[in-house]
Amino acid sequence: MAFLELKNVSVKIKNEEVLQNVSFTAEKGETIAIIGPNGAGKTTLLKSLLGFLPYQGAIKFEGKPVVGYVPQRIDIDRDLPLTVQEFLDLVPTFFKKPRNTPKQVLGFVNLSETFLLRSISTLSTGEFQRILIAFALMNQPDVLLFDEPTASIDIAGQETIYELLHRLQDVQHFALILISHDLTMVYRYADKVLCLNRTQICFGVPREVLTPEELQKIYGETLFYHHAHEINPESSV
Amino acid sequence: MTTTLFYTLAVGSLVGMAGGILGSFALLRRMALVGDALSHVALPGLALGLLFHFNPFIGATCLLIFGTTIIWAVEHQTKLPVDTIVGVMFVMALALGILLTPQADLLEALFGNIANVSFADFWVASSLALMISAVLLLFSKKFTLTMISEELARSVNFKPHMIEFLFLTIFALVVAIGIKLTGVLLMGALIIIPAAIARNLAQSMRMYIFLSAVLSVAGAVVGILLSSLFGWPPGPTFVLFLGALFFASIFFKK
Repeated sequence: MAFLELKNVSVKIKNEEVLQNVSFTAEKGETIAIIGPNGAGKTTLLKSLLGFLPYQGAIKFEGKPVVGYVPQRIDIDRDLPLTVQEFLDLVPTFFKKPRNTPKQVLGFVNLSETFLLRSISTLSTGEFQRILIAFALMNQPDVLLFDEPTASIDIAGQETIYELLHRLQDVQHFALILISHDLTMVYRYADKVLCLNRTQICFGVPREVLTPEELQKIYGETLFYHHAHEINPESSV
Repeated sequence: MTTTLFYTLAVGSLVGMAGGILGSFALLRRMALVGDALSHVALPGLALGLLFHFNPFIGATCLLIFGTTIIWAVEHQTKLPVDTIVGVMFVMALALGILLTPQADLLEALFGNIANVSFADFWVASSLALMISAVLLLFSKKFTLTMISEELARSVNFKPHMIEFLFLTIFALVVAIGIKLTGVLLMGALIIIPAAIARNLAQSMRMYIFLSAVLSVAGAVVGILLSSLFGWPPGPTFVLFLGALFFASIFFKK
């Protein structure tokens, strides 16, 4: 059995079908990128995987994996009195696995120990995204679900979020399912890509399935077609 | 110090501590006004107790738990706008309470009088305050994460709806035991102001909760002592003292 298997997953929100018949499988340690235009159901799919939304069809994980989740953003008040250490310590210990320490997970995301005492309200967007990843890594997840890494906010001189995730995956061996708008990164790092536009348009190895015709089907606009066409998979590897 | 003053100070401090800790969590999610509105629900309960000669504390507690359940249900089981419904319902509760409360007892119900606390009430309020403080601290991580982000809370297998229900129930109990101290109208202040001051000063969650509890206890002690010295009602004294501290704390905002 595959590590994760979806069969005909559909989601209705307020009687409107926002996701129809999604079926795919993922293996341990694989990276699956979910692409599609705004409103395509990408976040809905991720939330169904997390069990946040009711769905029809079947979502089956092998065993009972620890799932880590990195939301796109969370709105935190600028004056929230909470240090990074306290924030990371909010993660409960699951009995199955020993929990990482806040110091360890900061190391994973390339932030120094001095961040432990920083108030989370003083972090930059890029730093906070790394802290959210660190939060998700506390319980040594078997699969990490990531709602759209933002590449433009990386800390100068450091590895990008994609490079960071790729490096962590090599060491921690978690499967990674992420939503992405960055096709260059999808070509470079994803083992498989799932194309959505409320229904499943394609699934497979990016180089094989992301043809200009498929991209036009997903995004439906010539603007995206040209943009995608400019990306030469050969040049980005 | 008279025995009565000692008891009053003890119960005031314990209720203050519970209110302070509770407030530090409530302010994480800007729940301050829901709590303020909720406290008004206690009035018809107090009135029923006074009218039918049973302990008003029991009446207040029953109605508060009823009000809490309604807030929770409206928030999670319907698509109705919570703020508006909470606002309308609780002003109606206040109006009903004022109509039902015997005229002679109205002022005390609205503004509290902790000096009148009975021996039984002292033990009930003190032990409840201690228990509530312990439960709040025990569940502090769950409350904090749920208040900050429901999604993150769910991602680590917390059950945000149940945690919110527990929190609102605790909220109702704190209001019930705090009413003798500050009265129905000023109860929100016991919960909101110490946490608001602590938020201006604290850098970490641990310090924030601690400061909120300490300030609340200090407010209760100062309020009760000044009221016993000058014969002022303790509730308004407490609120004005802490209100002044709040404005002072703005200048020390981190």
